[in-house]
Amino acid sequence: MSTNDWIGKSVRRVEDKRFITGMGRYTDDIILPQQTYASFVRSPYAHAKIIGVDIRAAKSMQGVVAIYTGADVASVNGVPCGWQVNFKNGDIMKEPKHPLLVADKVRHVGDAVAIVIAESQAEAVDAAQAVNVEYEELPCVVNAAEAVKPGAPLVHADVPANTCYDWSLGNPISEVDEAIHNAAHVSTLEFVNQRLIPNAIEPRSYNSSYEAATDKYTLYTSTQNPHLIRLLMCAFVLGIPEHKVRVVGPDVGGAFGSKIFHYTEEALLTWCTKKIKRPVKWTSTRTEAFQLDAHGRDHITKADMGFDKDGKIMALRVKTFANLGAYLSSFATCVPTYLHGTLLQGLYTTPKINVDITAVFTNTTVVDAYRGAGRPEATYLLERLVDLAAHEMNMDPAELRFKNFIPPFDGINQPGYQTQVALQYDSGNYEGVLKKGLEMLGYENFRNEQKEAAGNGKLLGVGFSTYIEACGIAPSAVVGSLGARAGLYEVGQVRVQPTGKVSVYTGSHAHGQGHETTFAQVVADKLGISMDDVEIVHGDSEAVAFGMGTYGSRSIAVGGSAIVKSIEKIIEKGKKIAAHKLEANADDIEFASGKFTVKGTDKSVGFGDVALTAYVPHHYPAGLEPGLDFSSFYDPANFTYPFGCHIAVVEIDKETGNVILKRFIAVDDVGNVINPMIVDGQIHGGVVQGVGQALFEGAEYDANGQLTNGSYMDYCMPRADDVPMIETAGQVTPCPHNPLGVKGAGEAGTIGSTPAVVNAVIDALWSGGHKVKDIRMPVTSERVWRAMQN
Amino acid sequence: MQLTGKHIINAAPAVVWAMLMDTDTLARIVPGISRLEKTGDHTFNSILEIKLGPVNSSFTGNLQLENVIVQKGFTLRGQQNSKIGNASAALKIGLSLVNAVQTEVAFNGDIRLSGLLATMGQRIMSGVANTLSKQFFANLEKEVEKANV
Repeated sequence: MSTNDWIGKSVRRVEDKRFITGMGRYTDDIILPQQTYASFVRSPYAHAKIIGVDIRAAKSMQGVVAIYTGADVASVNGVPCGWQVNFKNGDIMKEPKHPLLVADKVRHVGDAVAIVIAESQAEAVDAAQAVNVEYEELPCVVNAAEAVKPGAPLVHADVPANTCYDWSLGNPISEVDEAIHNAAHVSTLEFVNQRLIPNAIEPRSYNSSYEAATDKYTLYTSTQNPHLIRLLMCAFVLGIPEHKVRVVGPDVGGAFGSKIFHYTEEALLTWCTKKIKRPVKWTSTRTEAFQLDAHGRDHITKADMGFDKDGKIMALRVKTFANLGAYLSSFATCVPTYLHGTLLQGLYTTPKINVDITAVFTNTTVVDAYRGAGRPEATYLLERLVDLAAHEMNMDPAELRFKNFIPPFDGINQPGYQTQVALQYDSGNYEGVLKKGLEMLGYENFRNEQKEAAGNGKLLGVGFSTYIEACGIAPSAVVGSLGARAGLYEVGQVRVQPTGKVSVYTGSHAHGQGHETTFAQVVADKLGISMDDVEIVHGDSEAVAFGMGTYGSRSIAVGGSAIVKSIEKIIEKGKKIAAHKLEANADDIEFASGKFTVKGTDKSVGFGDVALTAYVPHHYPAGLEPGLDFSSFYDPANFTYPFGCHIAVVEIDKETGNVILKRFIAVDDVGNVINPMIVDGQIHGGVVQGVGQALFEGAEYDANGQLTNGSYMDYCMPRADDVPMIETAGQVTPCPHNPLGVKGAGEAGTIGSTPAVVNAVIDALWSGGHKVKDIRMPVTSERVWRAMQN
Repeated sequence: MQLTGKHIINAAPAVVWAMLMDTDTLARIVPGISRLEKTGDHTFNSILEIKLGPVNSSFTGNLQLENVIVQKGFTLRGQQNSKIGNASAALKIGLSLVNAVQTEVAFNGDIRLSGLLATMGQRIMSGVANTLSKQFFANLEKEVEKANV
């Protein structure tokens, strides 16, 4: 192995030095000359008519620069939704305006009524409190299943039954109904996949400035996709030409999906800065973050799974109400449909599937993609049902899975697997990950331990979850045909400097993923150079040509592939230059370990020499352009389909119902792995987030639409001492359709873990004779205790 | 949130009733009132200073007495606004004769919070409500003792 074989090595993250020494540069760290600060006047009510907004007292307060209300921005467009989903009857989804400030009525707690801009943050906050808004409170609705009923309050007057769209996918419902009717056994679950709050460490922050001399704007924003924000804000909201706007996403402290979306504050600050000709900054308070960062999940579902007498799955029928909140967030519409409905094949050969989704407006915070986005909901649904069916049919849950798995296929010698719900899986070996998981668990002994524990006042349970996800989002033609209003390729530019050092410009954006390390490993490996000679540049629309950003575990699969495509072009051109230098034919040059060599000889020239020649082309191939700098747009041929097996072991205290997570095993197949340590870190973080949903987290609204647990005193986050050391292992089934053979690892942990934990709780309860079908998340001691009283 | 409570006061219903109907006395009895201004027969403007755990806020708003039945009871309805959210309440207050020198004062009703107050305050609201109702009865007893002296 040469010293410059970087792929597959657990290289320490190069970005961590600045993060752990306080040198990270986040949006809130940026203070511009003449800086002003914004604070918002927000609705205390979930639903109320605005009778009047009195800004007179606030306007005369010290330090106040400007105040704008809904009336001031009435003619400005609202923020758009990036994915169109149609009703079953073909009608276009309901897309009510999401205004930058509301003028007529507020539709959720925290809806912005006015922005106050002042010389200091404190003065802005004080003046915002002096704005007097008179409201007339209206009845509100918070629950998606209630919101569609006749007589429910309407969030938007022109959206009947609060329904954004209804949608279905899969086999005709009549066929599925019949298959369920004829099944030897049907397992049915009615459950809630509760609403979660993303809780990134860094609150959202924006700093927008305008330079009158050049008529140019600069927006610093805590985002996952600077170019996308520029596109949405310029083209759809403000009507500013894109070339007049620079969007920079500097260091971003966690996002989990919540910073994909184009928020009203970004556009409003950009609108304001031109008005006042000074930079305007706003950083969300933690309370605002709880209230306003797009929430995740919030599905109410009824699902039936039919089996034949041997335990083969015959059919799956799903009916879900998806809560979208009060407005459409940027990608809210695709989460319950194309990121959820399309995943309901799971790992199984189920021949008949029908999924029916009703997406609903309510007087709550917007709901959009949150780590996993739709796929955790799909996995939870399938894996809970399969485990429940095993209990009900008195079969072993692992055996039941083996019986139903799609057989292994590599996507090269065997074709991809066509599901009943639109997707074609690329490659998979599903029984492999479960076999490995069972070995790590020591399954044979486990059932004995379970019996022993029962004698000691404890209930022990094991829960399985075998998941699949669609990542590497996404082939533009496919998503375009499904309603996406953007292409989902990625851009990678590789600029070899004259000295052979390499600058890489990627449209992917890192906010914790470690791209500066992983991408540098790919480049250094492919060019046979030191990682120190590679710099990864991202997050600045003025430096990077274009980009679609980071979400859906797409960065290495799509962004990494774009970089590889550019490297291939570099090597191709390098061969021509080397051939000239070595007086050989370009076809006879091979490139390996940083050297261009004439095949079958020891005549070679180094990568650095070739780079220098490209920029000092004194002796150079005729007709070849100088320079060594290539850019590629990579549009993937398919999604990638990582999969895995997660196993949780829990212990329940019979007296108190307290649940202790004793073991967590994660076997993940994410295709080829560039940096095993970083993948492990992603799995650890994701698993803990998924455990958070299972045992601790959940946004609670009261009947008046008030978020009652919007602080860390009340919203329970998982802590280090809530989880055991996570036991991870890998399996590699390369992706057949991208040049790195990678599938992505960002969301796997969150997708796989939640049902494993809840299944383990259910298994423990059944072992104690408490034959419950469902227990509501978060699975608190109280809920477990109550389940044991029946 | 539901609020209920009752307490026996060592005074005849007529005495207690008179105190509850007197603006100045009422201002001393209701905890947190820093200003109470009569605007009509049974309507008031008020300023309340209340500490809710970590937050200390001043509420301005109005109070109304409805369904007033002399010496028996009334409904206290109020809408209070503050910088950290609003509160609205409807409390039924009832007086009943225990004996010639004792009256049971009971209340029940509900209070609705909004905004930051709801987000941050929910967890501690029941504790705050218990404290405030204890204070209310203690203040009422104090007034009775003063009157008896």
